[in-house]
Formats: sequence, structure tokens, C-alpha cells
Amino acid sequence: MIAALETRLGPLTLRNPILTASGTFGYGLEFTDFVDLSRLGGICTKGLSLRPHAGNVPPRICETPAGMLNAIGLQNVGVDVFLQEKLPALTALGVTVIANVWGDTEEDYVAVVGALERAEGLAAIELNISCPNVAKGGMLFGNSPAATASLVARVRSATRRTLVVKLSPNAPDLVESARAARDAGADVLSLVNTFVGMSIDPATARPRLSFGTGGLSGPAIKPLAVRMVFQVAHALPDVPIMGIGGISDLYDVLEFLAAGASAVQVGTANFRDPGVSARLVSELEAYCTERGATAASLVGRAQRFAPGGEKGAEG
Amino acid sequence: MKADHRATLLRRRVFSPGFFSVTFRAPELASGVLPGQFVMLEVPDRLRPYLRRAYSVADADPVAGEVEFLVRTIGPGTSAVEHLAEGSGASLLGPLGNGFSLEGLDRSEPVAVVAGGIGAAPFPLLFRALTAAGFTADLYLGGRNAAELGFRERFAGIVSGETLLATDDGSLGERGFVTAAFERRAAGRSRPYTRVYACGPMPMFAALAPVVARARVPAEFSTEAAMGCGFGACLGCVIPATEKPFVISCIEGPILAPEKIAWDALTPALSQGERESLR
Repeated sequence: MIAALETRLGPLTLRNPILTASGTFGYGLEFTDFVDLSRLGGICTKGLSLRPHAGNVPPRICETPAGMLNAIGLQNVGVDVFLQEKLPALTALGVTVIANVWGDTEEDYVAVVGALERAEGLAAIELNISCPNVAKGGMLFGNSPAATASLVARVRSATRRTLVVKLSPNAPDLVESARAARDAGADVLSLVNTFVGMSIDPATARPRLSFGTGGLSGPAIKPLAVRMVFQVAHALPDVPIMGIGGISDLYDVLEFLAAGASAVQVGTANFRDPGVSARLVSELEAYCTERGATAASLVGRAQRFAPGGEKGAEG
Repeated sequence: MKADHRATLLRRRVFSPGFFSVTFRAPELASGVLPGQFVMLEVPDRLRPYLRRAYSVADADPVAGEVEFLVRTIGPGTSAVEHLAEGSGASLLGPLGNGFSLEGLDRSEPVAVVAGGIGAAPFPLLFRALTAAGFTADLYLGGRNAAELGFRERFAGIVSGETLLATDDGSLGERGFVTAAFERRAAGRSRPYTRVYACGPMPMFAALAPVVARARVPAEFSTEAAMGCGFGACLGCVIPATEKPFVISCIEGPILAPEKIAWDALTPALSQGERESLR
């Protein structure tokens, strides 16, 4: 991998700025037929909880124009199985692994992070405070800056690892949530998780998802996500951001970088095109080589169009 | 090994309005697929449908390098396939899923294949495999009306045993559900079928499961669930199960024994039957 793509996110240095988003890439191992995982900047695992979690009753997904709704409900193998079976296999493949973590309570989050603290081969923790598809925890932590601050502070004191906080676009004021996470000790912010949406079968007047509502993802949300990355990058220019939301091709990557993301996570596109993540690495590499550019030089170039000029709102 | 195969549409055959087959040139896939396996098909450069659709492989010809799918137009995904021009390309991700098992069959007794409507989709390749292995198989094909039995022509000459047709309105074959027709015939046999292979909408499965359980005939159901990816990453296609909360249909199935499925836990939305579940 060429040095031009090397990506710094606070204390974390990645091969390149192309990662895969939690919930859209399994534990990575599902993709080994399609992707050399070691070529990616990193993978964010399926959200891990203290104990295995069964998830929601189906139907769990439905398609919408240029995207999909999901209410999987955080089905996962639990942190112990992850540590025993998944992480060693990923480490053997040379994968940069970011463990996505969730819980019902602050204590749950701290316990999962504590279990991961002993593990070798983890690059960072990503806190999911933004899942819209569970009754407790999840988005409830992300929708209140006070709850965000309290949770992030507790987790911060429980780990020495790089701490990524994944923000909810459903928060009343995303910049305030971002500021709360940063002030409580987040090293990196990832945004955005899915938007709460709904789809109804007109023939039966029944919601298409058993959970009723679900999280909207895919190209349909891209302009919303770009705007949110742009706003947070403007307000908090010193906090590294991973941009997420409908990224499917190189131009989407460049758009998020220009908005102010230092890296991106590819999500729903992995379902339609399982090889897309590694291909984006190659395409970004070719783009930078052709122009003699580095990935870092592409970050935040649109910020000069923010209200108030080139400087952010605070230093 | 599963891979994303670039395929070219060679021809389309229409059996009745909305019921058709498409045959693609995809040599590697044609030589590597087992009966009952499926692919995730993508018609390129479309935002609606955005996700791929799962299609059972209906038949494969390794010599000609061709794979065939039986399709019923029920929504935007199937409509895109219906309107795909001959000679144009599509991506076929596969082969995926477990496939039917031929292990443990008794050659002295026939096999039964029970199909409802578009549930005929995986069976031409299975009949070919059963015949090649020396088994005799009967076909029970059902639908709401004669038009829904359009695929019966696709089975002409490849069913080694008897063919029984049933329609809800009696417009072709016996009147009533194909599961009832199967139950009557199976009960009249001196010795039971050695196995039942079935594919159809969830209501058909729910009706058939107690029938095969009472007759103590081992069965394999090719289940249908809305799939986001087809290879175990999205966890969208789970089905309520008996031995654990859910089975992941795309990687633990799609072929499942009926006793693995928690029929009582199927919600109305899951058992609504033949509609494109991804809109």
C-alpha cells in the first residue's frame, strides 16, 4: 500500500481511509471470497454485546428507493465468541479490526470494553450509541448530549484504546452530541448511523418490518450524511471524523473527504457489491497517484464554503 | 467457490403471462452449482431495485456453460429481469446456500417433489440429479389457477415418475391445494415416499409441514426469505427456529428440514406468500 493513502485519525494510523461499516460487513470473515481484508483501512465489526443476542423477529429488512430499511436488532455472537473465534481469524489475515460495542446500560458497555481490553490485534473501539432498532440503550445514549457525555466518560476511563464514538443522525442537535462525545474523551467520531424510517405495505396497511420502524441506509441518505459530516467538521475541526452514509463509488469517497471526513466507512453497498470496499482502495490509490496527491490532502477542501469562512467555529 | 460472475443473457422463454425463464451464459457457475443453491442477481446500474434478488438456479448445463432461472414477475426486482434485453449483462453472485441433499435416499421407493407456483424454480436441476443417480421422482405442481401452472411445460420429459397438477380454482388438474392432493396420494401408497422436496410460499410450507410429519417422511423445504446480501453478512433473512431463536436462511439454508422451523412463530407478514418481499 502506498504511503499516499496513509490515514491518521488521532492516535490511530490506518493503511488507507477506506473502512467498512458495522452491521454491513458481518465479522469480516463472510467477505473473504470477495475481498483481501488486509487491503482495507479497517473493518468495523458487527455490534458486540456482553452476551450473544438473538435480534428482532423477521421481517428485518425491506428495500426502499435507493436504499433499505433494517431492524436487525443487533443480533451478534457476543464478545466472548468474538474473542475466541472471530478475532484470531481476522488477526491471522492481517486485518485492522475496530470492535463495535453496544449495551443496554452504561455497565454493559463498560463490561464489553473491559473484556476487549485484554485482546491482541484490536485497533480501536467504536461505541454504538446510535442503533435505532432496540428498545433499550442504543440510540437513547446518542440522542441526549448528557447521556452521551456520561457514557463516553465511563468508557473512556475503562480503556486505553483509541475510542471512536458512532453518532446518531436522529439526535436533536448532532453538533451538540459530537461536542459532548469529544469533551468526554472520544478520539474519533464516526457519522452517521441510520436514519429512523418506516415502510408500510399499502395492500395490508401493515409495516413491512416487524419492529415497525427501521434504520434507513444506502445512497438515499448520502446528501444528509454529507451535510452532517460537513457541519460537525466545521464546528469541531480538530476531531477526526469517519464519514458514513450511502458510499458506493470513488466519487462518494471524495465527496465525504471534501466535506471533512478523514476516512470513510462503506456500508450498505457491501450487500449489493461485496467486493466494493477493496475496489475503492484501488481506485483511490490510482486517483492519488495520477494527481500526485495524498488522501490527507483531500480532506476538508469544501470547508472554505462554510458560513464564516475557512476557520471552524472553535479551535 | 462463490464469486461474482459476469453473465450474459442468452434467451428468455415465456410460459404464461408473468411466468418466464432466463438463461445466462456463466460457465464457471454452470459447472459449480448444486440443486437447490441460489444466486444473488444484479441488474446493473439501477437504484431501484438497489439490492440484488435471490433466485434459485433452475437448471445448469456445464457443457454449454449456461444457467437458467425461473422467474415470476411480482415486483420491481423481477420486473427488471423481465425487461432485461437479450445480450445484456448481469451479475450472478454464487453459488450460495446449502442445496438439496440426496444422501440417505432409498432407491426402492420414489421421491416426491411438491411445488407451489414459482416454487417450481429449483426443481428442473434436482430432477436431473435424481434421474442421474437412479431415483424415481413424482412431481406435485400447484397454483391458484391454470396460468400459475405455466412452468409445467418446463418439466415435460424430465419427471421420471408421475406428474400431478392441482389448482385452487380447479381450472387445471385437481381442485384444491397441492398439499391436500399430495396428502391424499401419499396416504394411498403402500409404502411411503423416501423423501419430500418442497418449494413454495410460506402458507404452503405451513400446510405441508404437519402432513410430512404425520407421514414420517423426511422432508427438505427450500425456504423463501427477504435477503439483503445472500452470504450471511446482513442477517436480514432469518427464520424463527426450533433449536435456537433463528436460522440464517441464506447460509444455514435455504434448504431446511421442516422440524427446524418454528411454524407457530411465523408472523402474518412472514407468511403472506408470493409477493416480492423487497420492494
